Amino acid sequence: MSKKKLKVLLLSLLPLFLLGFLALRAFENSAAYYYTISEARAKDVSEQKLRIKGQLVEDSVTYNAGMPLLQFSLTDGQSHLRASYQGVLPDNFHHSEEVIMEGTFDSSGEFQVSKLMLQCPSKYEGEE
Amino acid sequence: MAYLGIILLYLACGSTILAIITGLLAIREKNGSKGALTARWSTLSTLAISLATLGLIVAFLSNDFAVAYVARHSARNLPLIYKVSALWAGQSGSLLLWLLVISLLTLGVQRDKESHRVGLGIVIDLVRLFFLLLLLFVTPPFELLADPPYDGSGLNPMLQSLGMVIHPPLLFVGFSGFLVPFALALTGLITRDDQAVWQERAVPWIRLSWLFLTAGIVTGGHWAYTELGWGGYWAWDPVENASLFPWLTSTALLHLAILPKEYRFKRIWSYGLIVLTYLLTIFATFLTRSGVLDSVHAFAGGVLGQIFLLVLVLLFVFCLALGWSRRKLLRLTDTQAGQGLSAAGTNILISSVLLLMLCAGVLFGTMFPLISRFFGAREVVLDASFFNQLSVPLFLAILFFMSAAPVLQDPMSIVRLLKRLWLPVLLASGVGAATANGAFALAAFGFGTHLPGLLVPSSTREWGAVLAHLGVLIMLVGITGSSLYVDDVFVSVEPGDTVVFGDYVLDYDGLSARYGSDRYTIGTTLAISKDSRERGTLRSEKTFWQGRNQPSTQVGIFSTLKEDIYLNLVGWENPAAQLHLQRFALVGWIWVGSWIVYLGMLVILCAQARQVRLWPKKTG
Repeated sequence: MSKKKLKVLLLSLLPLFLLGFLALRAFENSAAYYYTISEARAKDVSEQKLRIKGQLVEDSVTYNAGMPLLQFSLTDGQSHLRASYQGVLPDNFHHSEEVIMEGTFDSSGEFQVSKLMLQCPSKYEGEE
Repeated sequence: MAYLGIILLYLACGSTILAIITGLLAIREKNGSKGALTARWSTLSTLAISLATLGLIVAFLSNDFAVAYVARHSARNLPLIYKVSALWAGQSGSLLLWLLVISLLTLGVQRDKESHRVGLGIVIDLVRLFFLLLLLFVTPPFELLADPPYDGSGLNPMLQSLGMVIHPPLLFVGFSGFLVPFALALTGLITRDDQAVWQERAVPWIRLSWLFLTAGIVTGGHWAYTELGWGGYWAWDPVENASLFPWLTSTALLHLAILPKEYRFKRIWSYGLIVLTYLLTIFATFLTRSGVLDSVHAFAGGVLGQIFLLVLVLLFVFCLALGWSRRKLLRLTDTQAGQGLSAAGTNILISSVLLLMLCAGVLFGTMFPLISRFFGAREVVLDASFFNQLSVPLFLAILFFMSAAPVLQDPMSIVRLLKRLWLPVLLASGVGAATANGAFALAAFGFGTHLPGLLVPSSTREWGAVLAHLGVLIMLVGITGSSLYVDDVFVSVEPGDTVVFGDYVLDYDGLSARYGSDRYTIGTTLAISKDSRERGTLRSEKTFWQGRNQPSTQVGIFSTLKEDIYLNLVGWENPAAQLHLQRFALVGWIWVGSWIVYLGMLVILCAQARQVRLWPKKTG
C-alpha cells in the first residue's frame, strides 16, 4: 500500500519537475527588470534588459518616417531619459498618458527600445 | 430613460432576492408550489435586466448624453452599429451585458421549478445578485450628468471596428456558460445528489461555452492582427493570457466528459476542472479590471478588481472545503469503477495533465511581476520569449497525444499507420526551419490518423470530434508558419515606383485624400501582381479626426492561403511616402482552421441535441 502511494506521489511530482525545468530554461534572456527612470540613471545597468515606465516629455518627440526612427524623452517627474525606438510611430503615441518601454542602454547611454507599450485607448475608465 | 433603467435594476435586484429566499424555502417543501413561485421571481428579474439593457441601448441610439456612460462612449455622428457596441465599451456597460447574457442563457433553468428545488437556480441567482449589487452601488451604468454636454466624447477610433462588435459578446457568452456546470457541481455536492447525473448534465453546457470561448479568443486574435500596435494575433499579453487559462482547463474538461462514468478518475477530475474553469473566468475579470499588470489592452484599475479578487478567494476556499467534505462522493469504490485504465482514458488523462501544466506555466509567467515583487526582489517582467519557450514543447506534446488518439484504441494500428505515414512525415520534416520540422511533421501525422475517422466515422459525434481535431491541426500549421516565416521591409516610394516584395510586385500611384465633416483621410492603394498578372489591391490609410491629435491607421492585408501581405502607410513627405511591408506565411490557415473547429463542435452539439437537452424537462 505504501509502495503504491509512493508511486502515485512520484508520478504526480513528475509534471511539476518537468514544468520547473521548462520554466527555468525559458527564463533565460526573457526577464526584464523594472526600474524607475531615476534608478536607471543612477546605477550602471548597461547589460540588463529593463522595463521603464514614464510620462512623455512634450516637444521631445522626433520621428523620421523614412528609417523609421522614433526618439523621445520620458520623465518620472524628477529626471529625464532619452530613448530611441527603431519602428513605426504608434497611432496613440502622443495621446497616451503613460509609456512603458522595454530595452537596454547602448554604449552611448541612450536607451534602445525593443518593445513599446502604450496603454490601450479602450481603457475602461476607473470609476471613483 | 435613465430613471427607468435605475428602477428596473432595483426591480431586478428585489426579485432576485425574493427568488433566492423562496428558493431556499422551496428546498424544504414537498409539493413544489414555492418552486413555481421562485421560477416566476427569477424570470421577472431576467425581464427587468433585459429591459434595463434595452434602456441603455435606447439611450445610446437617442444620443441621451445626460447619461454619463453614453456621454463618455458615444457621439452624435457615431455609426449606428458602434452606438450599439459602445454599450460594452466601458466597465458598467460590460457588466450589464454580462449579466444579461447570464440571465438569458440560464432562462431555461430559471423557469424550471425543479431546478430551484435542487438549489441550482439559487446558485445562479446568487451570482446574478452579485452583478446587480455591483451595477447598483459600484459602477452604475445610469449615472446622470448634472450638465449634459451637447455631444459625447465619442468612441475611440481603435474600437470602431468589427472586432469590437463581435469579440466581447462571444467571450461573455463563453464565460457565462461555465456558470451552469459550476452551479451543477456545487449543488450536486451539497445535496449529495447522484454525482453521475449532474456531471452528465454539465456536458452540453461545457461544450457550448467552450465553443463560444474559443470563438471569442480567435476573433480577439484576428482583431489584434488587423489593428496596429497590438502585437499581432497573439502577443502573450496578460489580458490575452487571462482568456487562455479557462480555455485550457475547459479543453481538458471537454475531453474528460466523453469518458464513461465508470472511469475511475472522472468524478474528482470533473469537479476540480469545473471549479477551476469557473474560478479562472473570475480571475480573468480580475486581471483585466484591476490594473495590477501592464497590458496594451489594459482597462484601468478601480475598486472592481479588488471585489473580484475577494470573491475569487472566498469561492476558492469554499469549493476546496466542499470538495474535501464530500470527498467520498467524488471517489469511486472498486465495485463502481469499471476496468482500470483504457487507452482513451490514459490518453485523455495525460493530455489533461499537460494542459494543466501549460495553464500553470502561463499563469506563473503572467503573474511573475507580482510574484517577484511579493518576494521583495525587484519587479521582473517576462516577455514573449519566455512564454514561447515554455508553451511550444507542451503544446506539441498535447497535439501529439491528440493526433495519436484515433490509433490508440487499437495498439496494432499505430504500427500500420506509421508504415503508411513515413513518406509524408519525412517530407514535412524536410520543409523549413528546424523548429518547424516537429510541428509540420506532427500535423502530417495527425491528418493521417484522423483521415479514417473523417471518411468513415462511427458516429456523428465522432465525426464532429475528428473535424475539430483537424481544425486544430490546420491552426497549428498556420501558427507555425506565421511565427517562423516572416519578412519585413520599410520602403520609401514615389509615384510610379514599383516595389518587389517576395513573389509580388506592388505599384505605387501616389496618395489620395478624402474629406469628411469631422475628419480627413490620406491613403494609398497599391496594385499587387504576381507573375505579371494583377491579383488585387492593397489599401492602407490614416484618418485624422478633428479635435483629436491621434490619427487612426488602417492597414491593408492581401490574403492568400500561402501568405498574407500586410501594408502599413507609415508616413509621407512630398513626393515620397514610406511604406511598411510585412509577409506572414500561412496566417490564413489559422482562421480557416478555427472555422473547422467551430463546425466540428457544432456537429457534436447537434448530435447531442438529439439525446440531451441543455435543461431536460422533467414531468410533474
